[in-house]
Amino acid sequence: MPEPIVRFFHTSMQFPGVLANDDVSLDIYPGEVFALVGENGAGKSTLMNILYGLNKPTGGTVTVKGQPIRSFSPSEAIRRGIGMVHQHFMLVPSFTVAQNIVLGDEPRRGIFYDKARANQIVEELVAEFGLKVNAHDRVQDISVGLQQRVEILKTLRRGADILILDEPTAVLTPQETDELFEVIRRIVSEKSMTVIIITHKLYEVMAISDRVGVMRQGKLVGVCNTKDVNERILSSMMVGKDVLLDALERIDDHDSTIAIQVEDLHVSDNRGLPAVRGISLQVERGEVLGIAGIEGNGQSELIEAITGLRRRDSGRVLIQGTDTAGMNPGQIRALGLAHVPEDRLSTGVSAQADITDNLVVGKESRKPFSSLGLHLHKKAMKAYAREVFERYDIRAAGIDTAVGSLSGGNMQKVVVAREFSFDTPVLIISQPTRGVDIGAMDFIHQQIMAKRNASCAILLVSADLDELYRLSDRLVTIYEGRLTGEFRPDKIGKQEISHYMTGGGREEERHAQ
Amino acid sequence: MRSERWKYILSLTVSIALGLLIGALIMAATGHDPLDGYSALLRGAFGSKRSWGNTLYKTFQLCITGLATAVASIAGIFNVGGEGQMYLGAIASSYLGARLAGLSPWIALPVCFLAAILSGALYAWIPAVLKVKLKINEVITTILMNSIAIYLCSYLANGPLKTTERGINSGTDAIGKALRFNRLIPGSNLSETVFYIAAISLLVWYLMSRTTTGYRMRLTGQNERFSRFIGLRADLLGIGGMLISGAMCGALGMFECFALQSRFKTDFSSEFYFDGMLVAMIMRYKPLGIILMSFFFGALKMGATTMQSSTKISSELILIIQSVIIFLMAAEEGFLRRVQEHRVRRQTVQKEG
Amino acid sequence: MDLSSIFNVGTLLNTFNTATIVILAGLGCLMSEQAGMMCIGIDGMMTAGAFAAAVGSWYSGSWLVGVLCAVLVGLLFGCFYGVMVVRYHSDEFIIGVAFNIFAVALTTFILRTVFLQSGSFHPATGEIKTLPYLSLGALGGTNINISLMVPVSWVLIALLQIFLYRTPYGIWLHASGEHPDSLRSVGRSPEKMKYLGSVLCGLFCGLSGAYLSLGYLSTFTENMSAERGYVAVACVIFGRSNPVLVFLAALLFGFIDAAGMRMQGLVDPTLTAAFPYVGTILMMVFLALRNQRKLKAKAGHS
Repeated sequence: MPEPIVRFFHTSMQFPGVLANDDVSLDIYPGEVFALVGENGAGKSTLMNILYGLNKPTGGTVTVKGQPIRSFSPSEAIRRGIGMVHQHFMLVPSFTVAQNIVLGDEPRRGIFYDKARANQIVEELVAEFGLKVNAHDRVQDISVGLQQRVEILKTLRRGADILILDEPTAVLTPQETDELFEVIRRIVSEKSMTVIIITHKLYEVMAISDRVGVMRQGKLVGVCNTKDVNERILSSMMVGKDVLLDALERIDDHDSTIAIQVEDLHVSDNRGLPAVRGISLQVERGEVLGIAGIEGNGQSELIEAITGLRRRDSGRVLIQGTDTAGMNPGQIRALGLAHVPEDRLSTGVSAQADITDNLVVGKESRKPFSSLGLHLHKKAMKAYAREVFERYDIRAAGIDTAVGSLSGGNMQKVVVAREFSFDTPVLIISQPTRGVDIGAMDFIHQQIMAKRNASCAILLVSADLDELYRLSDRLVTIYEGRLTGEFRPDKIGKQEISHYMTGGGREEERHAQ
Repeated sequence: MRSERWKYILSLTVSIALGLLIGALIMAATGHDPLDGYSALLRGAFGSKRSWGNTLYKTFQLCITGLATAVASIAGIFNVGGEGQMYLGAIASSYLGARLAGLSPWIALPVCFLAAILSGALYAWIPAVLKVKLKINEVITTILMNSIAIYLCSYLANGPLKTTERGINSGTDAIGKALRFNRLIPGSNLSETVFYIAAISLLVWYLMSRTTTGYRMRLTGQNERFSRFIGLRADLLGIGGMLISGAMCGALGMFECFALQSRFKTDFSSEFYFDGMLVAMIMRYKPLGIILMSFFFGALKMGATTMQSSTKISSELILIIQSVIIFLMAAEEGFLRRVQEHRVRRQTVQKEG
Repeated sequence: MDLSSIFNVGTLLNTFNTATIVILAGLGCLMSEQAGMMCIGIDGMMTAGAFAAAVGSWYSGSWLVGVLCAVLVGLLFGCFYGVMVVRYHSDEFIIGVAFNIFAVALTTFILRTVFLQSGSFHPATGEIKTLPYLSLGALGGTNINISLMVPVSWVLIALLQIFLYRTPYGIWLHASGEHPDSLRSVGRSPEKMKYLGSVLCGLFCGLSGAYLSLGYLSTFTENMSAERGYVAVACVIFGRSNPVLVFLAALLFGFIDAAGMRMQGLVDPTLTAAFPYVGTILMMVFLALRNQRKLKAKAGHS
């Protein structure tokens, strides 16, 4: 065995209230691709943020190339040849590609920024590593895949030989993922770099890594050679038990009344650009229609337009047979619609308000919460909140805890509890389990299925294919604001459907025509 | 939540103590004995029946302006323009108060009151609509609209609406005698208006803390996106908060003119609204807190006037102390978080060592 | 009364004189705005700067010392603002509004308690040396004298334009506002840049204050910024953070002010005094309406 290039030695990271890394000891060797896997909140990103100097560990040491790190800062990490591509890109949107690549260490002429030299640097990098980008483009105008390249080039420019990639494939299409893996293999073999990749997609671990470390609740629970393990072993290590979720019980007596009907809908995004380009769909009572797609292909705008949160350019939306043209979200909800939004923190709750207020809102003018629709009965509100709190197993100090201080899973339970208890026949659900631990995920899935079995019409948007397969009766794929196919989940594989999610299906149709 | 409340009361107490300490240091630095200063202040606030009356008058004034700030802020709009709204309420009601002098007070007073709250609310409606519909920052518009209102009213009071009475070089016609409010303590500013202010304050407190409307306004102010998402008319609730706020300011404008001045004068207010706004900011827009703390700041404020005349320490000192308290309260959360992080780090290091 | 009495050389001069207050303050606001902070407190910084300049100039008998005092006070206020907002994450608007009340109260307090004067600063002995005037000859029968600070403010605009778009520090300043983490991840501290932004903000507001009391007028008066700081903020919003556009917006404000003064024969002076404020609000409404229409047109187009 050669000397490790990175060595974590009894490293711990204590945040107020959370032990994010618990006594982690890990060696990483030069020239390997090391995968770090674990559930959300297992401490993978925290550990890598320590290596990159963004967190200062509260215990233990970190050694890079034989030298222990004394002062933790990104500039120190960069000096030691560490580069990191974060899950959320660290790019300034209004700057050009070149400006972003040289940011923080700009070429200068006198005291001035040397634009020509910057462009030249980018061209040299492109030539050396074969990662094609255009130096003059603004970052806000290029695709996510290209943005990731800019990030990688940025680290390479600073002379990194240890590259950390945090969830690099979460936002990529399958083709872009393949390209990324190609790049990783090349820089490892040709430039003898070391790559650490954080992910929770186990098939990617199997495809790209030499060794894999599994984290659970802040602890490193195991390190294996990838060729000695399989996905099943890894996933049980990740959660500490067998994770295969039981199939959900479906009761099929749906009455085939159409509850959601969307006709040729066109919607623009915040910048005024077309996001939804002529979508038509319908959902019957007692079925779950899943929308599968890479994020940013118009799903958010579609949902916002259906629920009245966003202006429609053209097209019709009928809820329970009523045309919702010109209605505000409140009027649309009154037709019998409830909505679990994709972004719970900014849309789904008031973070400053307590659990009681977040559970009651929307029902406050009903009895027993108020009389005459005006005078509030706080006792009744609290009693109701306490009951829901128990029923949905929300874990918090009490019903007067501010919702903003809850964990993702518990916050989501508050949203689901509120929306589901409207007892509406139509449910619009976006990303119901994003950032939620597996226990809460299973609970929320069961709630959704119970609603379906009680003949609700459910429109489900998710970035998680497993979730869509588990819950949906029908699946449609969305790509660049258009629907590209409709399937029965039991008739199509995940590989094939991701082909349609990236526009593949449409091209074949075109060829067929 | 309960421990949160105690923590808040503790930091408020510490901030006020530090604010008063800094006030003492400033007095010492400018060559005055802080003890002299503060004892003059206490005397000024509570030394006589008259000073009690003035302190109570200021208390009620802070109460209504503080609540006016709070109502708008709770609904998500920072109303810095209460001064202008007050001016418009004052001039509209005073004008009518002079014109309707012949009518029975039972008719004339409600009409004047209606004019006061409508003109205040209308003037608050403009920045509210600009904020809600066009996303124009309300702090800038409301403060500029203060200047506009004051110039406008001074133009009116010196021009078209100027009284023809002899010996009065600025101001509107005199308000009908029967319409004026009586003073409760002779020589002090305390007048019958306190009963109306108390009633308005209680009503507003009830609205904000015990009704569905207040509940909806609060959620809208906390997260406008969420409010729209859940089906509330966030735009109307925000504008509504501003309308109530403006109406309260307009009402105060009328009370000031009808009780203490015999007519609208351009200098009837010395930035009264900002005094209340500071109290509301210190109390973080909690209606009950504003009502309770108005007395403390009212005493400070009135005491300072006596302090100024007997010790030559300018009463602006109170504004300095209040803004220092706001700085401390605003920094408190960030400061405590840093302390906590530091403590966590030290504890783990000790454990290791 | 004809149009030539409103649009003449005198009006032009007044336009520049008034605009300079807003230009300097606007540049300060721009610095903090680039770093992602909307500094409402510039009005207070100007007041404090104006007071420091008047006192410094009177005490030393040199306008340069006065200006340096104003800059120093501006820097102190800027630091304080930076600490409150960057280090303790205080609400910018609450701090800003409190800042303005604080500055007016502090200057008035010192004026009344230390100098035993109220209203304005008129020392019994000595005099307040004002900024030198540049004589540019006569045009159309009017002698053209402008305060030194007027051309200085123009030079500063050019310098800041270069600083923001042509130097690494300007680039970092912008990055610290638009996407602070991207700066952090390349080993530069966005906090330091935010401090730089707020300190520069204080510096320029100090200069603006010095111009107020040593150039625009020749003494300090209570609450002398008269909400022009807020106008400057509006100009920065209107100028979409580009120094040259901010300059133009400030000129527009200056012109409304100057034209209003010229119209005093026509309209009551107390009314014309309100014109610049009305103009500023209309300016913001115009911008917001235009942005909204643009977005709608784009959406309708597709």
